[in-house]
Amino acid sequence: MAVTSKTAPVVTTTTASTAEKPPNKYKQAFPQYAAVSPFFILFAIFGAFPVLFSIWISFHSWDGIGQMKWVGLEQYNYLLSDVTFWKTIGNTMIIWVLSTVPMLLLALVIANALHNATRLRTFYRIAYFIPNVTSVVAITLVFGSIFSNNFGLLNAFLRSIGVGEVQWLTSPWGIKIAIATIVTWRWVGYNAIIYLAGLQAISADVYEAAKVDGASPRQTFWRITVPMMRPVILFTAVTSTIGGLQIFTESRVLFGDTNNIGGPGDAGLTIVSYLYQSAFIKNQFGYGAAIGWALFILIVLFSIINWRLIGGNDDERLTRRAARRVERRIAAQNAKREAADVR
Amino acid sequence: MTLSRRHFLAAGSAIAAAGLTGCGSRSSLGGSHELSMWTWVGSVNDDLIGQAEKAIPGYDGMKLAMTRIGSNYKTKVLTALAGKSLVPDIVAINDDVATYFPNADQFYDLNELGAKDLEKDFLPWKWKWGVTPEGKMMAYPMDTGPTALFYRTDIFQKAGVDIDPAAVAGVAPDWDAYIALGKKLKQAVPGSAITDNITSIYGYRMAQQSKRYMTPDGQYLGDQDHVRQAFDLAVRVVKEGLSANAQNSSDKNAVVTNGKLVAFMGAVWWAQLGPKNAAPKTKGLWRVTAAPGGAGNKGGSFLAITKYCKNPKAAFAFISWLESAKNQAQAFLDPVLFPSTPASYTDPKLSAPDPFFGGQKIVDVFAESAKKYPGAYFSPYDTIIDTPISAELVNIEASGKDPDQAWADAQRQVERELTRAGAI
Repeated sequence: MAVTSKTAPVVTTTTASTAEKPPNKYKQAFPQYAAVSPFFILFAIFGAFPVLFSIWISFHSWDGIGQMKWVGLEQYNYLLSDVTFWKTIGNTMIIWVLSTVPMLLLALVIANALHNATRLRTFYRIAYFIPNVTSVVAITLVFGSIFSNNFGLLNAFLRSIGVGEVQWLTSPWGIKIAIATIVTWRWVGYNAIIYLAGLQAISADVYEAAKVDGASPRQTFWRITVPMMRPVILFTAVTSTIGGLQIFTESRVLFGDTNNIGGPGDAGLTIVSYLYQSAFIKNQFGYGAAIGWALFILIVLFSIINWRLIGGNDDERLTRRAARRVERRIAAQNAKREAADVR
Repeated sequence: MTLSRRHFLAAGSAIAAAGLTGCGSRSSLGGSHELSMWTWVGSVNDDLIGQAEKAIPGYDGMKLAMTRIGSNYKTKVLTALAGKSLVPDIVAINDDVATYFPNADQFYDLNELGAKDLEKDFLPWKWKWGVTPEGKMMAYPMDTGPTALFYRTDIFQKAGVDIDPAAVAGVAPDWDAYIALGKKLKQAVPGSAITDNITSIYGYRMAQQSKRYMTPDGQYLGDQDHVRQAFDLAVRVVKEGLSANAQNSSDKNAVVTNGKLVAFMGAVWWAQLGPKNAAPKTKGLWRVTAAPGGAGNKGGSFLAITKYCKNPKAAFAFISWLESAKNQAQAFLDPVLFPSTPASYTDPKLSAPDPFFGGQKIVDVFAESAKKYPGAYFSPYDTIIDTPISAELVNIEASGKDPDQAWADAQRQVERELTRAGAI
């Protein structure tokens, strides 16, 4: 609805205004504006207003019911010196790396396998995608009993092969690995499907040409598949970064029965769980809003980094790199010649 | 009417308009003959609610409209109050009732509705918890959570301990003796634990004391000896290897199911949440006796009437009926809510022998605890203070943090939070 409604009025108003005498432009366009208004009204109420209101709240101290008290930048000030907040950033980063790196690599491998699969293609695609549409609460409950210290499947398995138990849900690293595993399991299929779409968009001619030139499968993968998939990889990297920075449900469900939703030692407390804990458990809505905006800045930063690392202006960068390479080669030749001259 | 696009749009905009205007014109949730009430699952007796849903006793024109909220109860109540419209007439409040005191103006003073005359029917300390420091009766008592010692007779027998409740209470009158008993049990049955985790010991020890984290006039007590001693006691139980290190709910259930937890100092509601739910096969093996260290209370809830209520008299008539001694006795049968009205303790519904506890009349033990409990002042900041201390205790048990360091870190965090909240 949003997409079609945005384009429609522009076209009609321009043609209408050129056909007749100018005035009353707005009156004429009214039906069109009215037609597209539901989206914008709903967005203003449920999208724009909460965003703006949260800025307002973040300058206040507010328990949700009583009077809001203006505190200026005090919430942000507290945030900067809040050990727990910095810890949540660390936790979130670790969980994000632990989940995103294996997830994207695995997704690429799976996408390749799906691309080359000859039998039961649809079945496999659905099978890999299903975790993504399964309720994350249900998934977490299941993983909770897999990783459980006392009766977990994983510990039972480790015992049976003679390796000692691991205190998954009480040790700092165990918690992070458990959460990262849940995230990976849930999103790997989604990313694989996106990669698959990217793979299918690469023309077979390129591969054929490579084959004629005698490229090995490995060379084909690194020199054709990966470079041509770059926009797709950028997309998945950006979305997983945004998703990774917002991890919340997993630790909420794993440790949801107490006031301390980050688990022992706050080892699973992510930025968003801290936001939730501050605003909705401790009823410090001003502080919760401040955390929200700090998270926003972080996400912007990381998106820029991603953009520069993986995306960026391709042509410009390639030409610059090529130019540098040529320069270097000339310099090397010159040096060689000089050396020969000396001799 | 056929469903044409025009009809659909017309109906849609009519609904939207009704929804928008509705927000402004009504402040209390439900129809004009309905008293709306919110509570969480398992906090009321369903038969009694069913009766009130037909007619409020004494107010034939009024009906109750009950909503049972599955999760994030408090968040939803606060959101409704913050919205200042469509607020339920009656809300249930948990044992953190004091955190609502700064916003007591959102609720009726129940004394003005006639609560004063009923005070004598209730446990004095429970009644006091619903009254703000300014003397406003904000919340009406529902159930309580007197504490006692639960134990497994089969394990005690293996360790050569007399399993008679009176005898067990005699063996472990205080915490030192209880820890010694725990060591003996562990020797007889390796792996035995006397608590699910470190915070249970701390929490239940705090629940036995006559003071907690603040004085009524706002002085901080959380760094004083009675807190430090409870803290050290919890650390000691862990260092002696008597804790099962179960930090989340599924693990807490697991240690009951697999029999690791052979004794537990818990509140009355643990009978259901713990052994009855998690280890039904142990039926007949459990007993209850007076807890080491004395009587205590943990948990229990309240009812409050919001200032948006359309008929506060009827609402008060309903809650005083629901929490009468007779009806509280019925709520003990289902869903095991322990009455705050001492008259209920002799009601035959409560004093029936419980086969799960080998035919013991467990009500006697808990009634004794409820009557003897000294009561303590809960401040609006107790949750803020308790959270860092409990979190640091978990660090000690789960990752072996140095107790002195943990105590210092907890105190620093509490001070930061209290300063921000404007409490000190």
